[in-house]
Amino acid sequence: MWLPLIGIVIGIILGMTLPFNIPTAYSSYMSIAVLAALDSVFGGIRSALENQFEADVFISGFFGNAILAAVLAYIGDRLDVPIYLCAIFVFGYRLFNNFALIRRHFLGILRKKSYLEESTDK
Amino acid sequence: MKTLGGKIAVMLVSMILGLMLAAQFKNVQKVGGNVSLQRTQELTAQIQKLNQEIEGQRSLITELEDRIAEYESAAQDEGKLSDAMYRELERARNLAGLTELEGAGVIITVNLISYQEWGEVGIIRSVYDEDLLMLVNELNAAGAEAIAINDERIISTSEIRNAGDYIVINTNRYSVPFEIKAVGNPDTLEASLKLLGGVADNLSEELEIKIRREERIRIPKYNGPLQYEYAVPVQ
Repeated sequence: MWLPLIGIVIGIILGMTLPFNIPTAYSSYMSIAVLAALDSVFGGIRSALENQFEADVFISGFFGNAILAAVLAYIGDRLDVPIYLCAIFVFGYRLFNNFALIRRHFLGILRKKSYLEESTDK
Repeated sequence: MKTLGGKIAVMLVSMILGLMLAAQFKNVQKVGGNVSLQRTQELTAQIQKLNQEIEGQRSLITELEDRIAEYESAAQDEGKLSDAMYRELERARNLAGLTELEGAGVIITVNLISYQEWGEVGIIRSVYDEDLLMLVNELNAAGAEAIAINDERIISTSEIRNAGDYIVINTNRYSVPFEIKAVGNPDTLEASLKLLGGVADNLSEELEIKIRREERIRIPKYNGPLQYEYAVPVQ
């Protein structure tokens, strides 16, 4: 659960300190890729909590989704079809879904420990 | 996430995500965030195009200058051009504004007067082409030998005109503050500008006009191409 968060923090620090830049022209594709990657990591956290985590599925999903989303957005731009909207919709939806499941998982743990017994009984 | 390999993989992948987030964040910061991406791309393309154009024009200028220098040196070498003619040519170039000059004169700065009213900053009025034209006119009348506005040499074909919020001088856009450098007799120049009811006096009611004398003023040369397409000298 904590590994991805620590990894993200390390990555952000590295990214802010290293002189590592993306050309502004590709910024829109990068934003889609970031969304896909964010979804993958949240999905990974969820599956880990459900004890269904498989490293190969996770890694292939991370890179596959990010690259596919960026490529589709690029093709969409060339063809003047706003495919990136679709990517934003799908990944955004899944992101919220994953987050909801994670939330429920922790609420479930809290309930089992009967911290919330009083409020739920009423 | 049970095995060690899985843990390392998750860690690495999250780090890549963090890198992507940071890169994207920096990008957005650089662009300004609130500007839409499409607009940014449009403007970037425009800037690239204009830069290329500028580059092209610059190379054209250097090419033409090289050619002039070539002609001059060729003429000198062959002895076809006597010393007197060469000096005459230099004089013509000086008068045409094709050489950098130095001398005593005045520097006039034109700026806006801003005031505060109930916490809001306002200006009395902006600077228009006419203000600069009037000043240049007055300087010429007072015998200024070379004039430059914001290091843009004023020559016989120089234009000074409004274009939106800018003033275009020698096809380049400028906005406040304007610095007018004029080489000439400092006393005459200053006196003609500071006449009671004169140009500077009138303008200083609405604009900030500062006149200062200087012993050595450098006036840059005219940097554009000079070519007549239609006019031919009468034989």
